[in-house]
Amino acid sequence: MMRLDPRYTWMRQVAALAALLAVWEAADRANLLNPIYAPSPSRVGAALVDLFADGRIWPHLEATFGAALGGLALGILVGVVLGVVAALVPFIAELLEPVMTVLNAIPRVILAPLFVIWLGIGLASKVALSFILVAVLIFFTVFTGIRQVDRRLVERVVTLGGNRRALVRHVYLPSVASWVLGNLKIAVGFAFTGACVGEFVAATEGLGYLLSFAQSTYNAALMFALILLILVVVLLIFGLAGRLEKHLLRWN
Amino acid sequence: MHDLTISYGGEPVLEGASLAVGDGSFVSLVGPSGSGKSSLLRAVIGLQRPLSGTVETGLAPSQIGILFQDDALLPWKTARENVALGLTFNGMVRGKALAEADAWLARLDLAGLGDRFPRRLSGGQRKRVALAQVLAMRPKLMLMDEPFASLDAIVRARVVKDLVALVEREKISVLLVTHDLEEALSLSDDVYLLSQGPRARITEHYDVPLPRPRDPVLSRTHPAFAPLYERLWADLSREVDQRAEAA
Ligand SMILES: Nc1ncnc2c1ncn2[C@@H]1O[C@H](COP(=O)(O)OP(=O)(O)OP(=O)(O)O)[C@@H](O)[C@H]1O
Ligand SMILES: [Mg+2]
Repeated sequence: MMRLDPRYTWMRQVAALAALLAVWEAADRANLLNPIYAPSPSRVGAALVDLFADGRIWPHLEATFGAALGGLALGILVGVVLGVVAALVPFIAELLEPVMTVLNAIPRVILAPLFVIWLGIGLASKVALSFILVAVLIFFTVFTGIRQVDRRLVERVVTLGGNRRALVRHVYLPSVASWVLGNLKIAVGFAFTGACVGEFVAATEGLGYLLSFAQSTYNAALMFALILLILVVVLLIFGLAGRLEKHLLRWN
Repeated sequence: MHDLTISYGGEPVLEGASLAVGDGSFVSLVGPSGSGKSSLLRAVIGLQRPLSGTVETGLAPSQIGILFQDDALLPWKTARENVALGLTFNGMVRGKALAEADAWLARLDLAGLGDRFPRRLSGGQRKRVALAQVLAMRPKLMLMDEPFASLDAIVRARVVKDLVALVEREKISVLLVTHDLEEALSLSDDVYLLSQGPRARITEHYDVPLPRPRDPVLSRTHPAFAPLYERLWADLSREVDQRAEAA
């Protein structure tokens, strides 16, 4: 077997992708593909350029970002608080755990229509969907995490003379932070899923709304362009989340 | 410690254990696995409530240090911060505690490693940091639960040597739990033998007449060492055999 130099993996991958796109483009030029279903890379590129050229993409990007980041922040906040409270107060845990378990088991995006009825087709229903996706994830991360805090660390701090506050500050908070950060990328993915699906269901702006518009007008080029755009956006945020994680968990 | 009985709900793990650690003396407790050695140390420091019996140290909690089998350093704090932790809990301002921590790290041959996180230290280095963490509190009594078990022989000998020198100089009393009979004899003034559990008891006490200051390696060549070692070994084997027959 041929030995592959792992240093050039990315080069081979890029070359393969370029080849695929070239074949695709050539097939289109030769009229082998129906652009209604499979628009060529150049058509998709043109649609993408179009979105930015007349500037109409910006309010949509803003709407989706707003919903996703709003839901993410709220979801992390509420998930952490509920997780901590449930881990510390058995009575609350009894009440919360079954609810969260059910919410965790169902595909939570099915709540999207309900949120539209309750909160309207504006930003709030998208934030709510994003929020519920993230909050349940974070709740379980924190709840199970706190119960599994390393007993030895707790005992170490206690035997060095640390009080309850010291325990929270030096053991519990850093542990919680590390689990939340460890799940940050998944949470970001969930947040954008919530925002886009919410917009897809009923909205007047946002990337999800544009997608549903592209669908209803059979505009495959626009759809590909949007999918590409969402991909890039999420990857960018993943990159940021990864850097944050790396910095804050540099002890690991 | 007088007439200590410890139970985790069912049959007592350890029953009627009494032992004394004199001021500035080094005492070891040896015994088979599961005989309740760790439980006993945990009772001394209050992590485990005994079923009956009393522990009297006449010391404030902050004057008793414990070194666990695993080093249990906080992974998100640097070596320096870990060492300073106990000092700040007891009211020292952070800046001073960090300076003090550096001094202890240097004393234990760790100068320059203060900024490392525990993950980036070797096992022996982590053990030294844990030791510095406890010694920085200037304890009057040190409890140690097989603290060196995970170290390889050479690193272990060096850490133990530093420890003995410090303990002798600072006149710290030590209660060491170990499986290692040679280590127990070479370091201690007194050795207690715990029988096989459950219902383990302290069955023997040995005076170790080796001179101080001691070299933990060379003291093994002292003429008094071999006979003691033989006795201890015979007693421990008998203990384990008896249990095996009873079972
Ligand atoms: N938290 C606990 N709950 C219930 N039983 C326990 C607990 N901790 C220890 N035991 C039991 O108590 C007995 C004594 O345990 P301990 O850890 O004190 O033994 P040990 O002498 O330190 O053994 P080793 O040499 O293997 O460390 C064991 O039989 C163990 O199973
Ligand atoms: Mg033990």
